[in-house]
Amino acid sequence: MPRWHLLRVLLLTTVASSTLAGCNVARLTINTPLTPQHVAFITEGRTTLADVVTVLGAPDSMAEAEAGTTVIYRFLNAKYSRVNFGWLAKPWSPVDPDLIMSRSGFGADAYELICDSNWVIIHQAFVRHRPEPLFTPYPF
Amino acid sequence: MRVTGALLAVLILTLNACAFSRGTLGDELKTESINSIKKGVTTRAEVLAQLGAPDRILQLNGRDLFQYYRYDAKVGSLLLILVNFSRVSVKSDDLFVLINREGTAEEVIASKRTEGLEFRFWPFGD
Repeated sequence: MPRWHLLRVLLLTTVASSTLAGCNVARLTINTPLTPQHVAFITEGRTTLADVVTVLGAPDSMAEAEAGTTVIYRFLNAKYSRVNFGWLAKPWSPVDPDLIMSRSGFGADAYELICDSNWVIIHQAFVRHRPEPLFTPYPF
Repeated sequence: MRVTGALLAVLILTLNACAFSRGTLGDELKTESINSIKKGVTTRAEVLAQLGAPDRILQLNGRDLFQYYRYDAKVGSLLLILVNFSRVSVKSDDLFVLINREGTAEEVIASKRTEGLEFRFWPFGD
């Protein structure tokens, strides 16, 4: 490979990196976020709690309900992104300038089941079923 | 191949630091302790002797529900000079033991999700 080509690759990579100046991308997940596909096997009036536990694991909480027992699976999918455009001016500025844009999105949700006295699922639903949050630092 | 090598070299040159952190909440729920609880046989006192006091006690249609849990959090960060990637993964182990009115275990619900928990820094994808 000619030397100038290597330099060009390095230059392009550096320029590309510079456009990402001061970027932070972070994500927090608590338990496995459930989707309708994950719970498609559950049939009200037929599936038992034991079947659900075999596939999804133990729930996060259980509580007494009028019809039997409420079982809740909670999960969180949070995303955070931040860009500091002040980094672009750092090499030429005597001060440390900041121009920060950031945004976070919390995809907090829960999946609730109601079991009868025989541990058969009689109702099931997502609490919020929020859309998947995006990595988008633009806050406006 | 050389381009890949050059890009790898740039990545290494811009690599500022890596960070790994971990946090846990609660005692480990041992599989043998969970398996030792037999429905209709194990008594309330034996459950308490084996697992200790539960983290929560709930009333479920006149029966006691003992809840034990443990949380494990793993944080991985790749800190480059210009861009940082971080990911926090939290999973829980949960055990529910339903004690009937006769004082024996009626139902045992347990799962250990933390065993497959890994350190990850890449925030994209699943």
